[in-house]
Amino acid sequence: MRIRGLRFARGERVVFDGVDLDIPRGLVTAIMGPSGTGKTTLLKLISGQLRPDAGTVEVDGQDVHRLGQQALYRLRTRMGMLFQSGALLTDLDVFENVAFPLREHARLPPSLLRKLVLMKLEAVGLRGAARLLPSELSGGMARRVALARAMALDPMMIMYDEPFTGQDPISMGVLVTLIRALNDASGLTSIVVSHDVRETAGIADRIYLIANGSVVASGTSATVDAHPSPWVQQFMHGLPDGPVHFHYPAVPLERELFPSPRRAWWRRVRAA
Amino acid sequence: MLNAIARLGHTGMATLASLGRAHLLLGAMLIGLPALTLRPRLLMQQVYFIGVLSTLIVVVSGLFVGMVLGLQGYYVLSQFRAAESLGVMVAASLVRELGPVVTALLVAGRAGSALTAEIGLMKATEQLSGLEMMAVDPVRRVLSPRFLGGFIAMPLLAAMFSAVGVLGGWFVGVGLLGVDDGAYWTQMQAKLDFGEDIVNGVIKSLVFGFVVTWIALYEGYDATPTSAGVSRATTRTVVHSALAVLGLDFILTALMFGD
Repeated sequence: MRIRGLRFARGERVVFDGVDLDIPRGLVTAIMGPSGTGKTTLLKLISGQLRPDAGTVEVDGQDVHRLGQQALYRLRTRMGMLFQSGALLTDLDVFENVAFPLREHARLPPSLLRKLVLMKLEAVGLRGAARLLPSELSGGMARRVALARAMALDPMMIMYDEPFTGQDPISMGVLVTLIRALNDASGLTSIVVSHDVRETAGIADRIYLIANGSVVASGTSATVDAHPSPWVQQFMHGLPDGPVHFHYPAVPLERELFPSPRRAWWRRVRAA
Repeated sequence: MLNAIARLGHTGMATLASLGRAHLLLGAMLIGLPALTLRPRLLMQQVYFIGVLSTLIVVVSGLFVGMVLGLQGYYVLSQFRAAESLGVMVAASLVRELGPVVTALLVAGRAGSALTAEIGLMKATEQLSGLEMMAVDPVRRVLSPRFLGGFIAMPLLAAMFSAVGVLGGWFVGVGLLGVDDGAYWTQMQAKLDFGEDIVNGVIKSLVFGFVVTWIALYEGYDATPTSAGVSRATTRTVVHSALAVLGLDFILTALMFGD
């Protein structure tokens, strides 16, 4: 997958300004950055849910944003996506959720469909939960079901949107292992968008760090970890203070707590 | 002053843009309808959800409205010694006006708000995006069946409302106030015209079914994907549907029954 000169803005706010990325086939590539840098937006641009203002996104040699709806949908059958919320269909049970893409796109005999779904569920360890409803699943289980569903059509690549957010250590460990194992066993290309540095860096073959609309560092986990930029160091090691200050810009604390009589009077007037 | 003009212009532009999006969605839903011939089960589910599950509220409301019509009609008509015409008065009021209008208002409140909330929450929980990523068009798969379901269910519910209302009027007029049983039914049979009254009533409820379901689905699909956004969209569905139904009722009545 290749991104060149990607530019995207929401109103006045520029989210990406000339981003170039290469995502090699068969590897796990992590895209990391602080909250609000547009990591999820990037996935939506890659999958054609959003259109860029400029630049190209090529997946398997096809320019995603030049495809018509039918061609885009054909490409999407080869791209899986794991949403942050799981995005399971709440009126269908686990089995039917995983069976959904197969029923929509593959005309399979019921017995074969059942076997395929059970195999996908077995791969994520939830064959026993096949008849549970999404509301009966924990957050980690819901994401594993969503992963089984994303794998249902044997895609060439899977995009993971914040897969570790809000997970307990056991669920997180399970997801980390699954992402790596499924990537290697099925010859997938995986894109993991996350700000959970330790877990993501642990499984990623290649890392891109994004901030302020551009790529600030890229390479293997070790390369990025040793990057000289103070901002990269602060992000990778979770330091509370650095180029990104602990305090949000504000007037001096003394002035806020002990205002001059005139300012105090004005504040009372405004409050009234 | 300039701010007020700017706000007015902004509101006007936002309203026009919203109307444009609503019509684009309508076009997409209509294009998705032929695909339902291959998936009739999706349509049946929605007719059940919008129609069958609204039956109780429609039947109970129809009964009470018919009873009130019987009571009020009897007191007015008996002053002119025309209490035997109670049947035709009750039936005409129900079939021409109250059946389609009150049913549309009830369906907007029960099924319309539920549709908006369902679609809005599907958007907020990324289920619609999930469908898109599975190469499934959410408008065709989710919205078109609901749209056709509402369109089909509305006239059936309105017919049920009118039928039960006629029985309610009979219960009060004949059963409690002593209007002649034969006169109640024969006058109704003689004076009600199939084309003029019943077909026009059915046309009204088809139009209301179209508009109420369209508004409900659009509001859900266009909702801000937050709990507050879905809540606002649900309120808008009920308010806009009610206003649209009452406004359209006046226009349709003028077209159908005006000289």
